[in-house]
Amino acid sequence: MDSDRFWNPYLAGIALGLVLLTSFVLMGRGLGASGASHRIGVYGLDLVASQHVDRTPALHAAKADGHPLDDWLVFEVLGVLLGGGVAAYTAGRMKREVLRGPRVGLALRLALAFGGGLIMGVAARMARGCTSGQALSGGAFLSVGAWAFMFAVFGGGYALAWFVRKEWT
Amino acid sequence: MSLPLEALATTQREVGLVVAVGIGVGFGFVLERAGFGRAPKLAAQFYFRDLTVLKVMFSGIVTAMLGLVVLGGLGVIDLRALSETAVSATNLWPMVIGGLLLGVGFIVSGYCPGTSIVAAASGKVDGVFTVVGVIAGTWVYSELMVIPAVAKFHQSGDLGTLLIWQWLKVPPAAVAAGVVVMALGMFVGGEALERWSARRRGVEPSPAPRAPRRIAFAAMGTVAALGLVTLALPHRTRAEARTAPQSLAPRDLAGRVLEAPWTLRILDLRPQAECMAKRIPGAECAPPEVLAKLGLKDDPGVRDLVLVGPGALAAAPPAAASYPGRVLLLEGGFAGWTAYALTRPALPAAAATPAELAEYQLRAAVNAALTGMKPSPPPPPAAGGAPVKKKGGGCSS
Repeated sequence: MDSDRFWNPYLAGIALGLVLLTSFVLMGRGLGASGASHRIGVYGLDLVASQHVDRTPALHAAKADGHPLDDWLVFEVLGVLLGGGVAAYTAGRMKREVLRGPRVGLALRLALAFGGGLIMGVAARMARGCTSGQALSGGAFLSVGAWAFMFAVFGGGYALAWFVRKEWT
Repeated sequence: MSLPLEALATTQREVGLVVAVGIGVGFGFVLERAGFGRAPKLAAQFYFRDLTVLKVMFSGIVTAMLGLVVLGGLGVIDLRALSETAVSATNLWPMVIGGLLLGVGFIVSGYCPGTSIVAAASGKVDGVFTVVGVIAGTWVYSELMVIPAVAKFHQSGDLGTLLIWQWLKVPPAAVAAGVVVMALGMFVGGEALERWSARRRGVEPSPAPRAPRRIAFAAMGTVAALGLVTLALPHRTRAEARTAPQSLAPRDLAGRVLEAPWTLRILDLRPQAECMAKRIPGAECAPPEVLAKLGLKDDPGVRDLVLVGPGALAAAPPAAASYPGRVLLLEGGFAGWTAYALTRPALPAAAATPAELAEYQLRAAVNAALTGMKPSPPPPPAAGGAPVKKKGGGCSS
């Protein structure tokens, strides 16, 4: 299947590491994703319930310095959307579809996609980062917390994998 | 030119945001081409069918790590200073529990927060649902943080910014070499697992081309060795730091004393009596006769050493200059500190910006700590208080 042809994983990893290194050396910051999600959430909530945002310290912090979307990470994630889109389009993988295992229904798959995302949103705020910001960036910096986080991610995934095997296999 | 380019976060911020988009494009492009925009491929990691996640992630970590270690060893970048901005502090328990939860969310949704964005960008509807879920989750956690027990847990296990080589007290290049050996072992083991899984399912293992793999492994090994070679010359950069210690403004010292005292060791070089009477919070009294006995050259040098003289110090005394870590001289010495911290700050105007309010609160807090006098409360319209200091490895801010 032509659309399933991907880069060699080791070379893709080296390319990923070079992007991360560039980010560290030029900007003094690592890559990230969930921080931008948080800011986008605060932005949306601020439109409908501004007073509530001001009363909740963890939400307010994202707009205390100015506009919640005026942040390095939000722009970086904008780039991720662009880069991911271009890569998928040029490889012939740009297609509206729902990716799922052979034994799971459409509605259940979408509900699990949302539910898993929700858990990850909570987890990423708790751990001060997700697989990009914490495991990858902190891991490359040899941060003790990032490595503990990374092994915990694999641990959590493997521990639950058997229970949700019908979703994927 | 010193790296990282600080101007990109300050005066040339717009350029910095353009660079951010560019870096993001690279990130997203590589993730998609690695196959990370497809949930079944990512989930296969957890059934031992396809360990692409492990291979890509650890190759990425190893590459960036080796780049940092070699550039640090050559003195192009200052690893310790960079870690203060680029890495979030370690809060062990929330990171372990958060990691377990993130792993659970990963296998349930089939994505991690970053890859879900790539999936959404390539038209995968399940990716869009995960992106929305992550946004909702960050919101839920912000609401939970109002509960005191959650807030307390969020701050638990605080070790400050702690890197593995600081923790083990060995040079970064040595840890890096160890990580490379471990990663190569995991790659070989991972491939064996893939073959085992394929046999078990009765499928013919797909023969991967050997050449790129060989090149990648050889490159990682070579650069790791190069990193070890730089160990032969780090003392040059340390010697440079020794002859020219940097200076530290009283304002910056005050900020660090309040926010991250564990990153500092403050030595007050004034005569014992004067120091005993009044000193900077957390400072040790180290007049010349005491200083010589502290054995600073055998200190691990993890914390920055701050030297406080009666007035401005021209140079660090030899006993302190032998400190292996960063040595900082307080600008204006104790006199400068007094002028900054003993003068009560003027109350900010009602229309003060958050930055002015934060500046006031910092000065007021320092003033209170040193004089024992309660600071005047900030004016009422400051809803929400001071802006939270930005810190963290990308995801967290």
